[in-house]
Amino acid sequence: MKEWLALVARLVTGGVWVAAGAIKLPDPYESVRAVRAYDLLPESVVPTIGHLLPVLEVVIGFALILGLLTRGAAVVSAVLFVLFIVGIASVWARGIEIECGCFGGGGAKAGASSAYPWEIARDVGLFALSAWVVWVGRSRIALDNLLFRRIPEGT
Amino acid sequence: MSKKNREETRAERAAAAIIEQQRRERRRQLWIVFSIVAIVIAVVVAGVLIQSNRDTVGQTLTSSSVPPGVTDTYGVVIGDASAPKTVQVYEDFQCPICKEFEASTRDKLRAAVDAGRIKIDYRMVSFLNDASTTNYSSRALNAAAVVLDTSGQDVFLKFHDLLFDNQPAEGSAGLSDDQLVQYAVQAGATAADVRPGIQDDEFGTWVTNTQDQMSKNHVTGTPTVFVDGKQAGATLGDSINAALAAAG
Repeated sequence: MKEWLALVARLVTGGVWVAAGAIKLPDPYESVRAVRAYDLLPESVVPTIGHLLPVLEVVIGFALILGLLTRGAAVVSAVLFVLFIVGIASVWARGIEIECGCFGGGGAKAGASSAYPWEIARDVGLFALSAWVVWVGRSRIALDNLLFRRIPEGT
Repeated sequence: MSKKNREETRAERAAAAIIEQQRRERRRQLWIVFSIVAIVIAVVVAGVLIQSNRDTVGQTLTSSSVPPGVTDTYGVVIGDASAPKTVQVYEDFQCPICKEFEASTRDKLRAAVDAGRIKIDYRMVSFLNDASTTNYSSRALNAAAVVLDTSGQDVFLKFHDLLFDNQPAEGSAGLSDDQLVQYAVQAGATAADVRPGIQDDEFGTWVTNTQDQMSKNHVTGTPTVFVDGKQAGATLGDSINAALAAAG
């Protein structure tokens, strides 16, 4: 049962990642601008992070959907969600009104802060699903199950 | 050797074989993990390189790719350099709210410039290409840069005003290159001077980079007004009020 639930968690989280990343891929500069709007990172790394995030999101998403190195992918996924939650909480605390840029867009927008609680709640939920996958480790219908046979414990 | 001893030895050998097999299986799995991780990292690195290659914003500008007559690479400063106040205005030729801003403030701002009370630092930007089917936002700004280059600031200013007064609707094809040339001529330029630059996207890289300096200055929409470096609020009303207050 746990392994079936882990499959569902994988598909939901992975699907969100692929969608979020794919939407941002066509316009590389938009992500750079979205990252810059958080005003958290030094300008020297902003373009690289802006170019990296959409690619990483798509790759992690596919890894989760396929069940490839599931545990590792879920760890990265969980870490990213923590970073996003910290980012949104930080702009909220500083009174900066920006679109989170989670699914494209980004940058200042009046009244954007009303969406922060929902965005944080969504990311907390997705973090919980990722953490669940990390904890369970194995799941149904995964490439991992073809690549890695279970090694019997002990002698 | 007793029968019991022989059985123990056989069991030990079997156990050792199983351990060896497990060790080999672990090594195989570790090797698979490393291979997949290496491939994934290679894919991510390649993806980042592709993305940064496709990102044309922020490419290094050479002296010939910046239109002559700008201040601080991106500003067109109108008025006496020693004027006590500076009103900096970020505008996009495709932005309807900028058109409203122009309608509400232009005459008073220009009168204040003539009276020496302010200077205006126009920061024309291009980030609304999606609002037309022909990247009008960028084409219009390139045309303005060509006009500035070939015909000087006064003609640029008239061209700027004409483009806002005749702004194409959002979602349309925008003004054609021919129409841009016509408005440039109406503003005082010579068609033969401006046509090549308008048709060949002469200052395209500079036009693309305007949105980078906009973003780095934390300007995320147009119109945005700064009075002596201080940013007015985000609404049209804030911008109008700040500009009119500065104009006196």
